[in-house]
Amino acid sequence: MLVMGEVRTGLLQNSGEIPESLCQGVLGLLSGERVRISRRPIVYAVSPDQLTGVDCRLASAARARVRGVGTVLSRASVTGGRVLQGSSHIQVARAEADHRLSWSHYLARPGVVEVFGKMRVPDLADGFADSGAWNDCLDLGSVSERFMDAVQASPLLDRKAPFRSARTRLRWVAVAEEPGREGPGIRFTLGRDRVRTLRLVLPDGFTPDVVDFCEDLALHDWLLTTLLVIVERARVGTATRAEVTAKLAPAVDHLLHLWMPAARLDDGFAPLWEALERRPGFSRQWQSLVARVRDQIAINTLALLREAGGW
Amino acid sequence: MTPAYATFGEVEAERRVASAPLSHVSIELGHLYMEDFQAGPERLREQFRHVAPWAETMRASWRARVPGGRARVSTCFLIDDYFSRFSTPSELVPMVLEAAAECDLTIDYLARESACAEADGVKLARLVEDRLVTDPPPGTDGSRPPVTETGWLCNGARSPYGGAVQVAMGSAQGWEPPAQNAKRRHSIFVDVELWDSDSRGRTWSCPFLAAVWQLLRLGMIRNDGELPVRPTPRGPSFPASWDELPAVVQLNPAAAPFSAYTTMSVLSPRFLPVELAVRTILSQVFVDAAVLRQVADRSGGEGIPLPDELVDRISYIFLGA
Amino acid sequence: MLVFAISDKGGTGRSVTSSNIVYRRALQGSDVCYLDFDFGSPTAGAIFSVSSAARGTIQGGMHGYFEGRIADPHRIDIWAETDREGLRAKPPGAGQMVLFPGDEGGGEFSTVSEEMLRRCVRLFTRLEEEFDLCLVDLSAGRSFAAQMALAATARLPGVPFRWLVFHRWTRQHIIAAHGLVRGRQGLLAAGVEHGHDEETLADHIRFVRTAVLEPDAAELEGLRETQKAWLNECDRELRELARRYGVGRTSMLGKIPLDPVLQWREQLISDEDVLSSQIANAETVAAFDDLAKKIVDDSAWEAL
Repeated sequence: MLVMGEVRTGLLQNSGEIPESLCQGVLGLLSGERVRISRRPIVYAVSPDQLTGVDCRLASAARARVRGVGTVLSRASVTGGRVLQGSSHIQVARAEADHRLSWSHYLARPGVVEVFGKMRVPDLADGFADSGAWNDCLDLGSVSERFMDAVQASPLLDRKAPFRSARTRLRWVAVAEEPGREGPGIRFTLGRDRVRTLRLVLPDGFTPDVVDFCEDLALHDWLLTTLLVIVERARVGTATRAEVTAKLAPAVDHLLHLWMPAARLDDGFAPLWEALERRPGFSRQWQSLVARVRDQIAINTLALLREAGGW
Repeated sequence: MTPAYATFGEVEAERRVASAPLSHVSIELGHLYMEDFQAGPERLREQFRHVAPWAETMRASWRARVPGGRARVSTCFLIDDYFSRFSTPSELVPMVLEAAAECDLTIDYLARESACAEADGVKLARLVEDRLVTDPPPGTDGSRPPVTETGWLCNGARSPYGGAVQVAMGSAQGWEPPAQNAKRRHSIFVDVELWDSDSRGRTWSCPFLAAVWQLLRLGMIRNDGELPVRPTPRGPSFPASWDELPAVVQLNPAAAPFSAYTTMSVLSPRFLPVELAVRTILSQVFVDAAVLRQVADRSGGEGIPLPDELVDRISYIFLGA
Repeated sequence: MLVFAISDKGGTGRSVTSSNIVYRRALQGSDVCYLDFDFGSPTAGAIFSVSSAARGTIQGGMHGYFEGRIADPHRIDIWAETDREGLRAKPPGAGQMVLFPGDEGGGEFSTVSEEMLRRCVRLFTRLEEEFDLCLVDLSAGRSFAAQMALAATARLPGVPFRWLVFHRWTRQHIIAAHGLVRGRQGLLAAGVEHGHDEETLADHIRFVRTAVLEPDAAELEGLRETQKAWLNECDRELRELARRYGVGRTSMLGKIPLDPVLQWREQLISDEDVLSSQIANAETVAAFDDLAKKIVDDSAWEAL
């Protein structure tokens, strides 16, 4: 088994969070298909699945020429009416024929890419995880971004985002646990240029919940990354209190309430999140940042009260 | 205390997909265009005479295939009211029915071609167009949007054209042939016009509507999870205007369901290029996976495995005069 | 916000001024990027002292992106990649500063195809998400790049944009700048053709005077009285000319004094160049700073 995907995460280009009622219009990328919405514990709306055809090289760590043909399965989602994600993935399978078949063959297997010749799972897994700068190899991130672009271009959005932020990229690859190889586990790596890689070894094989898990992780990584930048730019200790508060305010208005790791996940993934909470300790870092933001704003409020003579 | 497990579900987070009643095969007895009509009722009778034995053969072969011989076979007939309007339902439909009866054929369902563009307020052709997933030429790695020419669909890579981006003092490009993606050494390149438009709006092409027609007969189209077209039982008479005729009329109250696992069409060879185009389109339509699963479960339960690929569920008989 | 920098004639100091605006804006805490749309001569890397991109990049830049060869154009983090020691550390609180270079060996395009236009719209939309200010440096004169910019912004009603027209303080330059905006096939005419409203577009265009020598400048101390009087007369005439051609004070966003550093070595002027080595004039930096503020200050862009 070999499944790989890429999730891109960014801020929905709207001044405020969008209400549930707008989600159908914004994410309805396919006519005749409803946007699915779940409301607890946080509003989450997801577009219908989309397919994109590919016929290209797959990145191989050994730089072998591996050709794959098939379809990429993608979707776009909005969490809390505020954070937009584009997510694409494929399951890699070995082709039975030695030549390309009629397109209907591949369309009958949505989300499967068939490779010609022998399939070396570790080689393709390593290749994909490192393939950031490789040309002409399967580029799931760009597919994900196009669906994000389609959402951001919606006339229902006012494009007046409260702050600027870069999209983050989470590239993930999941393989099945095999005797004699590494046991079930998770490895998360922060790379340059907002690239993160996630490697999963799954005891029970692939289920769609794996995609949910990767999207959830990407969402929280983006929240953390974005809040870190906001706090850094606020120049706490250097800039005036009023300046600091002004810089921190968008975080309070738009980000702090969105932190809900593993909210929608299947219980089977709880151990994976728990492992990430131990190291690198997502929630610990988040909570410490949140405390810092709130303290700064509290101090400024006190100062203002004192100036106003109310104290 | 033992741990408590909560289950929680949300209606709008789940997808519901209606299922269509299904026959084993849907046989298209004919397709009536203005020129056929102008040629008079004799042409129609001749066509039905040709078709009748083939329809019977199809029926017999399914009877042999289905346990107990209880094959569900429905027949249908399509009238073009999209590209040209001629006559009226009240005048034309009885004539068609009479001609069929003379050849011992029963037409179970009658459909209007314009219903493939829009039926009961649902823009079927748009639904299908949105579900096109273009056949990628080699080298398509997802980094760029799929190469499309608005309103066209092909099965490979087109020749580079003069309007491609060129950089000053860059090298010029010569002619290159188009190529079929799934070629075996040599290409059969097909490029299909899906629609054109003028001041009155968009006109869908005949192959595109024919592709929608096939999908309807295969029970593959849903709008918001619902079936967009349900056959309407015939009234005591037929209306005087095509717009008043339902999209699909059920003429025979005892008919097997309109949609079916497979379709068969008996056609004149002049429709060969159209059907090649239809197959080019259908092999690039991404049908709702839940619908495919429904149909596969049903047919599997009956012990009738279906081919995975939609185009393999469609068959034709091309009959010369 | 998208800011397009254009000039009718070459040698106005458009690129070096734009680069310095971007740099000042980053120091003021904004996330900024600089897009090299001077397709015939992709040399923006040189101004930012990024030697790997001094003649454009070989890693797939603007040209490769518009030709559809690559998914995303190569981006250079200037704070990290500049060769200038003094610029290499991003000061605390400063924003991102990113250069999108052209391709080495890339040339001017022969047309703007629908494909290119769509790529341009996509690029602008994505950068707008990430950067407070995207400065697009167009080439001198009427170009396909300028046409593409007009067409793309017409398709992006939600994205704010502004145009800066650079010209020197000479008779010829004033007339040329006027022509570029209001002349035949000028920005306004071409903009209307692509769907812009003429008046609204005009409200989004301002002029920047470069290499300005003020008659009372310190450099002119040693001149004879007759020379000074003649200079004053010239300046008065130019002001009159500029007013008549709609290039006068009201439509001017700023002016950059003549500075030898800009003339001889087109580069970013850091505070260190003014304070320690004193090779550049404080007035020049003040002018850049002022422009960098005014570019995003709505009151400087109220309808004329």
